[in-house]
Amino acid sequence: MDTQVQNQAFNKFTEAAETINNAEMKKWKNDGKGIIGYFCSSFPEEIITAAGMMPFRIRATGSEDTELSDSFFSSNNCSFPRHAFNLALKGEFDFLDGIIVFNSCDNIRRIYDHWQRQLKTPFVEFVHIPKKAEAAQVDWFREEMSIFKEKVESHFNLELTDDKLAEAIKTHNETRQLLRQLYDLRKGDSPPITGAETIAITVASTAMPKLTYNKLLKDLLKELNSAKGHSDYKARLMVIGGELDNPGYIDVIESQGGLVVTDSLCFGTRIFWKDVDENIEDPLTALSQYYIVERPSCPRVYGKHADRAGYVKKMIEDFKVDGVIFERLAFCDIWGFEQFSITNDFKEWNVPLLSLDREYTLTAIGQLRTRVQAFMEALGG
Amino acid sequence: MDAKQKRSLERINEEIVTYSALAEGLALMPDDMSQKVHLPLVKYIVAQHSKTVEHVEKGLPLVANTFTNPPEIFSAMDIHWFFIFQAAWGGGVENPHLMEDLEIVDNMAVASDCCTLLRMGLYYIDQGYLPVPTAYVGIVEPCDGVTSVHEAIMSHKDWRNVPSFAPEPTYYTDERSIKYYAGEIKRMAEFLEKHTGNGLSIDRLRNVIEETNKQYALWHEYNALRMSSPTPHDAILPQSCFYVTNFAGAGDPCHTVWFQDLIAEAERRIAENDPVVPNQKFRVLWFDIPSVYYATLVPWMEQELGGTVVLDMISYCPYTQIDTSTEDTMFEGLAKRSLNDGPMIRQAKGFADNFLADIETIVNDFKIDCVIWPGHMGHKDGAASISLMREKCREINVPFLTIGLDHVDRRYTSLEEIQAKISQFVKAMVL
Repeated sequence: MDTQVQNQAFNKFTEAAETINNAEMKKWKNDGKGIIGYFCSSFPEEIITAAGMMPFRIRATGSEDTELSDSFFSSNNCSFPRHAFNLALKGEFDFLDGIIVFNSCDNIRRIYDHWQRQLKTPFVEFVHIPKKAEAAQVDWFREEMSIFKEKVESHFNLELTDDKLAEAIKTHNETRQLLRQLYDLRKGDSPPITGAETIAITVASTAMPKLTYNKLLKDLLKELNSAKGHSDYKARLMVIGGELDNPGYIDVIESQGGLVVTDSLCFGTRIFWKDVDENIEDPLTALSQYYIVERPSCPRVYGKHADRAGYVKKMIEDFKVDGVIFERLAFCDIWGFEQFSITNDFKEWNVPLLSLDREYTLTAIGQLRTRVQAFMEALGG
Repeated sequence: MDAKQKRSLERINEEIVTYSALAEGLALMPDDMSQKVHLPLVKYIVAQHSKTVEHVEKGLPLVANTFTNPPEIFSAMDIHWFFIFQAAWGGGVENPHLMEDLEIVDNMAVASDCCTLLRMGLYYIDQGYLPVPTAYVGIVEPCDGVTSVHEAIMSHKDWRNVPSFAPEPTYYTDERSIKYYAGEIKRMAEFLEKHTGNGLSIDRLRNVIEETNKQYALWHEYNALRMSSPTPHDAILPQSCFYVTNFAGAGDPCHTVWFQDLIAEAERRIAENDPVVPNQKFRVLWFDIPSVYYATLVPWMEQELGGTVVLDMISYCPYTQIDTSTEDTMFEGLAKRSLNDGPMIRQAKGFADNFLADIETIVNDFKIDCVIWPGHMGHKDGAASISLMREKCREINVPFLTIGLDHVDRRYTSLEEIQAKISQFVKAMVL
């Protein structure tokens, strides 16, 4: 699907999504400010912002091989951490002042064990984020964040006050609200932006200073509000799954005539569909409540499948979705078993579903095109 | 019973027949090993299965559970439970339906690179081969597969209305984690009370723990005997220690007698230099749970190569005694036992250092000559730790082999391929 977006802000977002260390990050770093890397969307990046640093969500964009990390991971490990750690070993993340890993999945959590042994990043920390969403877990995670906050204060010699945390929550909530506005524009019959372009924008939200990002996104929204939009698509699609940061993947899907209008992805709606409650007095409690209970969960969280299914079903209705593509990174057990439940849900709902396994890098494009083409035909497009 | 309930007992009844026949055979054997060690084990399996059948037939409360949730709580509450993932093993004897089952599992909407053991459990539920329980207790570790398969089970059309709870182990092993996990176990007990109607008597819990304390102490004693060379028994008995303490009804005084008989049998063999496996040339740590074809692989290793598996992950006994003086000390003791001592949870839920520390301790204590990491396809965290395990083994000067297999599915790596890998490794690195 051809782009209709010609905007300076969008170009910056695209650059951020297509590179690891983009111009805005270099500028930030040149100003003497720190950048902290983290894996996965369940980590409260607000704490890093409150510390005056920039949170950067680790990707392996541009990685072509795993020749260095193959000594540390096996062929039945997911390709994302293998590519990401390969880039780390090649020095692509040397600009980081710190790295935070948590128990997001069995593949990624082992990056911590290797990173602390193999790399010289000054601040390498581990945080335990619960996999259940009950009151005891909110309390536990609040305590974990408090311990982590003290480590940040001690290592970087700064004070992380409640006021700074509250301010950071406000800034990050603004990002979430702006992104929801962007998605609102996609609910109409002629969305002004494609799915591939949208992923570039959401990925950029994890790779830029938040205030800069918010300003750029406001500029883009102004233009998109009056844009003509796409109406020449054959079907409205939704993509669901885990780690997907490559607009190129969505581009291949859309090349078969469908328009991706929404998603349930961890570089997509799950990072911004709800806000952190600014009315909770203690900011760490507010963050814990949000990250453990409130935000749309991925299947690493136990006991929330019904909520996840409800979330996807409402998206299908609100965005008038004709068919859904489920994508999963090979060797991911979390999404591997979720696939069983999703498949049964979709049968009950009578909504067409295409399930795809993939590698982190964009490979087997021909096969992907063929599968999507067949799906489009089944949808009547 | 309706048709669904009858179907849910088909496989269990088949196992009862198989194990009952085995018990009859063992009863005819005159030696102490058969009479006092093997026969009681088989009887425990038959008794547990029969109780499950009785609970379904009479409509009594029945709980589906997973291992390392403290069995002492269930015993103290007089709650009968069954283990969902026992299905793939058939309780120690390879499930005779396994290959035909796996062909159907291949066509389920679960990615084939997910743990086959867990896929088999889900398959049993999907096919109605397990009774729909009164309540269901999962666990959120030690791997992604376990968390996720519980989610899939809970959303299955036949089980979605079954009340469920899963304690969440923390990533760490410290006092703060133990206190948190003690809270999780208390919440588990409250959940069980609510859904089965059976209350928890603290005095009864104390009695059960005092008995399991004795059994863990005896298990330590037994494992100390396995440190001797040649080791007195084969590789199957050590796993039975875990079965007896965790699956066969925790705290039963009969199990204490079983441990005493096991120790006496081992002591006799050491005194008379009469090991079950003769001509032991090298000592192996099988650093994982046993595969379903372990009962074929291990005797081959013993007879063809002279290798004896001294210990595996399930047979390792790092358990400590629980202080029974107060309710809090008991819950914290159970929390520690479940969080830090139980197999797989102990090693896999946290940092890779947990694997490395155990390898070093076991190799030194049990005079291990080589370490085999089977490399089960489902153990993704272990797959990402192989380089660290190899490095540790190099550091302590013990050969290390990783195979790459599926604990359940022989088609992934055939028995012949596994044997060839072990054989080449042993000839090149060990002997």
